Amino acid sequence: MKYYDAIVIGGGLQGTSTAYFLAKKGLRVALLERDDIASGTASHTDGATLISDKQPGIDVLQGYHSVELYRKLVKEFSYDIEFESCGFMYVCETDQEMEAAADYAAKVSAQGFDMRVIDQKEMCERERYLAKDLKGGLWTESDGLVNPYKVCLGFVEEGRKYGLDVYTHHEVTGIRLNKKNQVEAVITDRETFLTDKVVNACGVWAPAIGNMVGLDIPIEPRKGILLVTEKSETIAHTEVLEFGYWLAKFFADFKRPVSELVERHNVCLNIETTHSGNTIVGGCRLFRGYDIKVEYEIMQAIAERAIRFFPILKDMNCIRSFGGIRPFCLDHLPIVSGVEEVPGFYIAAGHEGDGVALAPITGLLISQMITGEKTEFDATELAWSRFKNVDRKKLAAHGN
Amino acid sequence: MDSKFDDDMLVCRCEEVTVGEIKEAIAQGARDVVGVKRRTRAGMGLCQGRTCEKMVQQILCQELGISPEEAGCSSIRPPARPITFGTLAGGMKE
Repeated sequence: MKYYDAIVIGGGLQGTSTAYFLAKKGLRVALLERDDIASGTASHTDGATLISDKQPGIDVLQGYHSVELYRKLVKEFSYDIEFESCGFMYVCETDQEMEAAADYAAKVSAQGFDMRVIDQKEMCERERYLAKDLKGGLWTESDGLVNPYKVCLGFVEEGRKYGLDVYTHHEVTGIRLNKKNQVEAVITDRETFLTDKVVNACGVWAPAIGNMVGLDIPIEPRKGILLVTEKSETIAHTEVLEFGYWLAKFFADFKRPVSELVERHNVCLNIETTHSGNTIVGGCRLFRGYDIKVEYEIMQAIAERAIRFFPILKDMNCIRSFGGIRPFCLDHLPIVSGVEEVPGFYIAAGHEGDGVALAPITGLLISQMITGEKTEFDATELAWSRFKNVDRKKLAAHGN
Repeated sequence: MDSKFDDDMLVCRCEEVTVGEIKEAIAQGARDVVGVKRRTRAGMGLCQGRTCEKMVQQILCQELGISPEEAGCSSIRPPARPITFGTLAGGMKE
């Protein structure tokens, strides 16, 4: 039987990143994936790589570290992950949103990060296709975009240079623990691998792997739907989200001036023009189990909402839609942590819509935890132990 | 597919992907049509693989010695043909 210093389960963003950083540190590492690399959530999402869209505190801090890591990685990689430091804009539809946005920017700035209020004029200079009746917004210069599935493929290709072994189409069926409850082996449908360190980086599927060692991981799949335009000139020069998206995410009682259809499906604008010249338009956040089917009413709501902000889309073609599920964690923070009660078992999952942005820092943190180095920053708030001996209902974050 | 086709022959016209690029994607680990698509963009263009999908499938069969069923096909997603956002927003009533 093959022995590895560490085994990472899950060929998505967190798994490939973790495997890459571990291999780079000189460990003998295997990456196990039941399907193909980036076949789950990573290839069914957009590429927003932001410190924005997070809560002030640890969330913004890890976002900052991660975006900076992307900047370093693109210099080291020969594989093109289509990183674009294009900046990020929140747009506000009402004065009430502008007030809330200013307050949010002040908190993020106080933490030392670059996010500022911009007026309607600057907003429209940066994005000339934006509707002219919007109030203004927020600007984060350092934010950007990547191609999420290329990030996964990039981590794999670059990781192989450090000796990473990749086993796709290997489904993990069990994890063997010894008498002290320590990780001993990972069993797949094809072979068994010996190891004493295993990382559960399975995103929405992380609870199933957790079950194998008796853990109840509070992650639920949350569906997003995106539309793709035909190729055209650049519609969005930056990554753009409506600020209502952030408000709706963290404040459940916040209401926008939207149609019943948009409200009912929790649809908010997000838009980005990718390297290929197609523009990706979204989005929504819905609990539908593991189903990724595209719902026609939601396509309608997304189109309606997108035209409100980018009227030029009205006459542009939609060539495809797709749905994806993101790992929503109970308290809106990912789990990036070892598990005390199962020595050798680590979790890197639960990033919901921030998985693309946070993949580099998550991989680096886990690699540092495994090798026993000092972590990049104090990651206690991301620890698994936050779910122990507490009423999980009380832990649930405000908002949705 | 007849192996006499050159590596520089275009397979996906929308995204300009060649036989050689598809073979490279297979060498990197692609096992099916979706795997090739993700690595090369073959099938991601305006026609959504209507032109190239069968050929990508054939190259996969040839390179990996698998059946067309194993090579699979791209997941079908609406709209069936390009449709404007305006029409979509109006409940698809044209």
